[in-house]
Amino acid sequence: MSREREGMFRLSELEEDALKEFFNMGLGMAANSLSQMVNNEVLLTLPKLKVVPYEEATRMLVANQDEKLVAVRQNFKGELTGTALLIFPGSESLELVRTLLNEEIPLEVLTELEQETLLDVGNVILNAFLKSFTQMMHVEFEFESAEFLKGSSRFLLDITSHLAAQNHSLMEYADADADERAFVLMMDFKTSDENNTNHTLSGFVVLLFSQQAMLILRRELEVILSNL
Amino acid sequence: MDKKKALIVDDSSLARMMVRKFFSDGFEDWDLIEAKDAMDALEKIEGQFLHLALIDFNMPGMNGIDLAEKILEKQPGIAIHLVTANIQERMQLRAQAIGIGFIKKPISREKIIAAMQEQTK
Repeated sequence: MSREREGMFRLSELEEDALKEFFNMGLGMAANSLSQMVNNEVLLTLPKLKVVPYEEATRMLVANQDEKLVAVRQNFKGELTGTALLIFPGSESLELVRTLLNEEIPLEVLTELEQETLLDVGNVILNAFLKSFTQMMHVEFEFESAEFLKGSSRFLLDITSHLAAQNHSLMEYADADADERAFVLMMDFKTSDENNTNHTLSGFVVLLFSQQAMLILRRELEVILSNL
Repeated sequence: MDKKKALIVDDSSLARMMVRKFFSDGFEDWDLIEAKDAMDALEKIEGQFLHLALIDFNMPGMNGIDLAEKILEKQPGIAIHLVTANIQERMQLRAQAIGIGFIKKPISREKIIAAMQEQTK
């Protein structure tokens, strides 16, 4: 990777702090939506934020998760173009579905409802999360419909699949190598409900930005910080 | 005339900078004390009389509600507002239960003015 390219991923301490605060607001909005769905308080943990290139993001996910994962993918297009993924370990996703449906449901029925329920959850969480960007930045983008994915972390982060899903940008990225794309990875999305503290849901929100989107993001951060 | 004192406690530099910007631009009759977490805040307000406190909820160490309770023990009646991205109803009820206000992030000049007006009631 070129030095210039590396610089794109290296945020100043203040830029990183600002981005973390935006994500914090996104997490707050997402948790609020989720709490309304589960009809209980969702406890937030401080998010860990990493801005890393594609290869490193894949390594981090692979290192953390051996088991099968489930994900909801939400593409967005506009001034910010990219892919947002909400990823849960397979076992935890069923637990979330059970909590959402709020009753004792046999496993086989639960599995049938898994996809539909997680799509709803993912849609709500990712939309809330991404909308936090528009609270302080002057960026506009639209969401596409959410998709349900299941597989290994390598499969879920497969760049070719995400680009294929963003059909209009395929040509734009046709000549680019995988390491030329910017990734923002936020880890440790943990929730647990107040009455049953054993129920803790760990997951990841992964945002895959195009290089251009990353440049817009940095520009917006610079504008905000220069006004303070 | 002595200036009024406000406290902002937030582990985010951005959040503190935003509040600092609002106070330095239009609220000249106020002094602002900035703290990055609860322990830092308790140290900095020792011996000070506060008129207004804006406190984040999610911080490393002590959370904003616990800090608010500690400040209220020392200065009952002070106008405290929880300023948080955690906008869930139960969080708002928790703030209400200990008699403090609730401000949804992002903070704005208008929200600070409303908190100041409440302080003077």
